Amino acid sequence: MINGHRICGYVAIAAALGATLMAAPAFDQLRLIAPAAPGGGWDQTARVMQQTLQRAGLVRIAPVENIPGAAGTIGLARFLGAERGNGGVLMVSGLIMLGGIVMHRSPVTLRDVVPIARLTGEYEVIAVPAVSPLRTLADLVSALKQRPEAISWGGGSAGGSDQMLAGLIADATGVDPRRVNYIAFSGGGESLSAVLGGQVSVGINGLAELEPQIEAGTLRALAISSGARLSGLDVPTLREQGVDVEFENWRSLVAPPGVSADDRRRLEATVDTMVRSREWREALQRYRWIDRYLTGPELARFLDREEQRTRDILRKLDATDRESTGLTGAEPYPLFVLIGLFVCAGAVVFEARRQRSSARPQSALRARGPIALLIAGVVLHLLLAERAGFVIATAVLFWFTARAFDDRHPWRDALIALAVSTSAYLLFARVLQLTLPGGVLARLL
Amino acid sequence: MTTFHALRDGFASAVTVVHLAWALVGVTLGTAVGVLPGIGPAMTVAVLLPITFSLDPTSAFIMFGGIYYGAMYGGSTTSILLNTPGETASIATAIDGYEMARQGRGAAALTTAAIGSFVAGTLATIALTFFAPPLATAALRFGPAEYFALTVVAFTTVSVLLGASLVRGLFSLFVGLALGLVGIDQLTGEARFSFGIPQLLDGIDVLILVIGLFAVGEAMYQVWQFGREEIHVLRLKKFTGMTREEWRRSWKPWLRGTAIGFPLGVLPCGGPVIPTFLSYLAEKRFSREPHRFGRGAIEGVAGPEAANNAAAAGVLVPLLTLGLPSSATAAVLLAAFEQYGLQPGPLLFASRPDLVWTLIASLYIGNAMLLVLNLPLAPVWARLMLIPRPLLFGGILVLSSIGAYSLNRSMLDLVLLYVVGVVGCAMRLWDVPLVPAVLGLVLGPMAEQQFRRAIAISEGQLSVFLTRPLSAALLLIAVAVLVGPRLPWRWPSRADADI
Repeated sequence: MINGHRICGYVAIAAALGATLMAAPAFDQLRLIAPAAPGGGWDQTARVMQQTLQRAGLVRIAPVENIPGAAGTIGLARFLGAERGNGGVLMVSGLIMLGGIVMHRSPVTLRDVVPIARLTGEYEVIAVPAVSPLRTLADLVSALKQRPEAISWGGGSAGGSDQMLAGLIADATGVDPRRVNYIAFSGGGESLSAVLGGQVSVGINGLAELEPQIEAGTLRALAISSGARLSGLDVPTLREQGVDVEFENWRSLVAPPGVSADDRRRLEATVDTMVRSREWREALQRYRWIDRYLTGPELARFLDREEQRTRDILRKLDATDRESTGLTGAEPYPLFVLIGLFVCAGAVVFEARRQRSSARPQSALRARGPIALLIAGVVLHLLLAERAGFVIATAVLFWFTARAFDDRHPWRDALIALAVSTSAYLLFARVLQLTLPGGVLARLL
Repeated sequence: MTTFHALRDGFASAVTVVHLAWALVGVTLGTAVGVLPGIGPAMTVAVLLPITFSLDPTSAFIMFGGIYYGAMYGGSTTSILLNTPGETASIATAIDGYEMARQGRGAAALTTAAIGSFVAGTLATIALTFFAPPLATAALRFGPAEYFALTVVAFTTVSVLLGASLVRGLFSLFVGLALGLVGIDQLTGEARFSFGIPQLLDGIDVLILVIGLFAVGEAMYQVWQFGREEIHVLRLKKFTGMTREEWRRSWKPWLRGTAIGFPLGVLPCGGPVIPTFLSYLAEKRFSREPHRFGRGAIEGVAGPEAANNAAAAGVLVPLLTLGLPSSATAAVLLAAFEQYGLQPGPLLFASRPDLVWTLIASLYIGNAMLLVLNLPLAPVWARLMLIPRPLLFGGILVLSSIGAYSLNRSMLDLVLLYVVGVVGCAMRLWDVPLVPAVLGLVLGPMAEQQFRRAIAISEGQLSVFLTRPLSAALLLIAVAVLVGPRLPWRWPSRADADI
């Protein structure tokens, strides 16, 4: 293990060195927060930025941090709490976060952060398997008008861009958006395989994810959500087929509230240079993102409009005032689980009482010391973790744990505790670049 | 024939001294980072990918292969030796692997894991090489109804994980199911049981439960027992490799594990939990001595480890042939391929055959390197158990804390970790098995979502599960597992408990 880490360290250092043998960068370190798990669109945006910024020499080192959850709103809450006034950090954001804020009634919104730039956009495509009886958008619309529930739409997470567009289409064709039979899948792969396998009637997803299938002829695209047809892609728009909807899933960058005007200018200038770099252009092509660079007052107006539209459509889709949904609803299963839990807990208590005399060893508390030590260690560790930093907090934990087992070598244990916690911290924070609270020792390490 | 030629060309461009060195570096890094608790394969690959960006495509792919298989394998070492699985893939391994380690057979357990991973990885990569397109198409026939039926089959695994008592096993399962309720409901976007705490909206991370129950719970339990029972002094057996007997008992589980793991990897069924546990279930069911399971049966290590690696190769089938990322790790790999202008999708094999075949050749190489690295290391790792307990558990808690925190950078996770640890300690004291709780947390939400999706698509028809042939067949298997004639246990096996 030691060996592995050492090599890991060398290689990481070598890679970092390679990237930094260039002119003096504007930022020594610019942290990029992706409020999503590795692999998604926001994470990709952050990681492409990481490379572009480092390769172009704009930033010496740009670590990416993932704070996943709840359509980015957990990342947003954390960003507001922990980074206020910090001029060295940017978070990726976008339309889906607006949706998440509405869906999850987030107490914090995009109005609480400082918009820096809109970067990219992605159009959505409505597609069916090649063998589907639905030949055109008109077929789909007439089937939808006849009986909306008969058409199942497969797409990404509930309240995300895919469901918004499905709702907008229904609304524009005079169908009640609440009757749209939208089947939410987690992640593009899952919904795409459901569409390819004909498990759902229609698929609705980002162009980048569906384009390879359309090119290969395994899926037939019925419409694209752009304003005009895209060059090189023979897919008609929604609008030219009589459905008055234009829609794109945009992504943007935000800075924490309270950044100074200087910091803000510096961030905007860095992003501006990045967007013009050759590396960024190449990345746009590679991921088929549309360049939607927008800043300043126009960006603010754009955000206002989008927020209004998102609120409108999600209100129309609102599932909560739908009449009883039976087995598809969110209630029956929890009820089943909770009943099962209580029945089992009762049975366990019953069984334990019956066996008490023979089976269960009566635990006479002979040694309270070790347990007290361990509890003290854990409590101190939890209290110190974010205040004093992880090095101190984990050293305390180690020392108390070691003492719980063996109280003969307090000094030796203390030394080992410091060594273990420092190297574990360096391994995670420096080599693997996973941010941990550095606390009071942050500057020393 | 053309496949052979293409593969030969792939090997031709992959096998050079420099490339082999990169493969070794990849495997080493993947294993080393994969060993750390809380850093699962997806995170390992994401964290290590930037290192490959400065390389030419061939070297980078070779390193991917190494990192990928290394990350998949990494967790088994700590789970065998210390009973601290750091991710879901190695929980099944821990059950019998740790018992073996306690009997001084840690090196043999590691060896069967390493060889099993190699055998399974290689066979699965061969299957990937020759049968990827038809397999991927077949996998598309699985809809929500089939996935629900599959989770039902996986739930039957609980029957072989029961300890002394049926109700305690079921109680553990329901604790897991209840924890799985917390968070946003995927289908409607409604928050359930999150008590207004934003960090709970995304549910309780299964890794918190795994690390808390196993690593932290074990440390607390040891402290609790400290001074109350004779300290079990461990002696490593002199001969550290596998005996002839162990070879004889391992090879069938390797093959069965591959047969179970590969197809389940092709299906996007939420990671390695289902394949590894179904393999464990199969081993116990096929065994003539089922009572040895849970007491250090080598089959219980060989099977799940093989299944895990075979599933890892299976995940690449839909990824390469259809461009479908069916796991978080696959999604990260997809992004990495795109770096090199490789667009996974139906046209991939036609548009960039050179890179694809190099990648496939790299998988063979990465897999072989895994064996080269881990076989000689097995006896070395096994000595990890000789570290004095104060330092060992101190170190385990430090790594658990850092791993848990760096999952989401949330203090709440860290607090939860220790709460779960206390629960894990209590469960040990009262003989409640730990593993059913983890299965409940992983499978519960999956079963619920797929069930509701199937019902929604069929507009409320409950009969979909029986009218679709695949789903009906799977449900039949589940029934067969529960009431089959080879049932070694009837109700809570009092006879067993006395042994």
